[in-house]
Amino acid sequence: MDKIVTPQDKDSSLDILKEKKVTLLEVLDRALNKGVVISGDIVISLAEVDLIYVGLKLLVSSVETMERLRGAPMSGAKEEAT
Amino acid sequence: MNIYIYGIIDFNEEMAEAITGLGGANIYNIPYRDIGALASDLDAPVRNTDEDRVLEHEMALEKIMKNFTILPMRFLTVFDKKDNVISMLNEHYSDFREDLDRLRDKVEFGIKTIWPGAIIRERIENAYRKAQDNLSSSTESPGKSFMKEKFGKYKIDKEFEEEADKCIAIIDDFLNRFVAEKRLEKLKTDNLLLDAAYLVDKEKQGDFKKAFEELKTSPGDLKYLFSGPWPPYNFVTKTNTRHDHE
Repeated sequence: MDKIVTPQDKDSSLDILKEKKVTLLEVLDRALNKGVVISGDIVISLAEVDLIYVGLKLLVSSVETMERLRGAPMSGAKEEAT
Repeated sequence: MNIYIYGIIDFNEEMAEAITGLGGANIYNIPYRDIGALASDLDAPVRNTDEDRVLEHEMALEKIMKNFTILPMRFLTVFDKKDNVISMLNEHYSDFREDLDRLRDKVEFGIKTIWPGAIIRERIENAYRKAQDNLSSSTESPGKSFMKEKFGKYKIDKEFEEEADKCIAIIDDFLNRFVAEKRLEKLKTDNLLLDAAYLVDKEKQGDFKKAFEELKTSPGDLKYLFSGPWPPYNFVTKTNTRHDHE
């Protein structure tokens, strides 16, 4: 999270918004869907995580919508994008 | 008091650097044999599990990653007492040990590749229909037309996938030289040609990025989303729990 590079056309507030959303999407995809999974009785289950999944679906939708509306490449990932 | 676990590291002593995690809580190491589980105390259940909490989890991992090889835990792995953390470390020790050795000094990069899927599919469809128009007769039975339509869809899908495979092979060829392991997912959607995770040795990060720069400048109608370095989320062994429901 300390290596965000702004997109080439960083003057646009829409691009900055898009950059933040795409970066967050990459983080959520990993932290919620990947990594070591420990399950069983010794791990406390937290139902609230479902709420994040709902949010994630909305986020995916919003990124795709922006792509479609602008007809432009996705840009501004965690480190860089083209 | 609950204990939140961020990941497993190849270190069994106290952390020298102060790193904070969820809610600003201090992260400490719970040692077991020659490894450790990085943890912070949770005074209260995590109620507001919004994106900010996920970012706190990720930022803590990235700070840790600078000095240690880490197996990142999935977000919201919480135990109710230290003894249970130790039990978990004991139960999965050999898997953790193996993963830590395999992933030592390696980081993950993500590359998503967008291609104009709709345009490519339309081109393939048009070429197929044009070829069929030249062959079709006006006296075809409805059954035959139906079967032809089904077969046509199959042929178009197959050609679309073959074109995707060719493109992915070219992309992968640029990057493969500097990669220890990879996870490639093809055509999650028509436009998302490739969702790739590459595991790269820390020392080869520069070469990998250069290879990506070369790829970017190669001709073609592709758009890329490059991200990283990440902790190796996509490369930890998923089966290292007896109760994994995945």
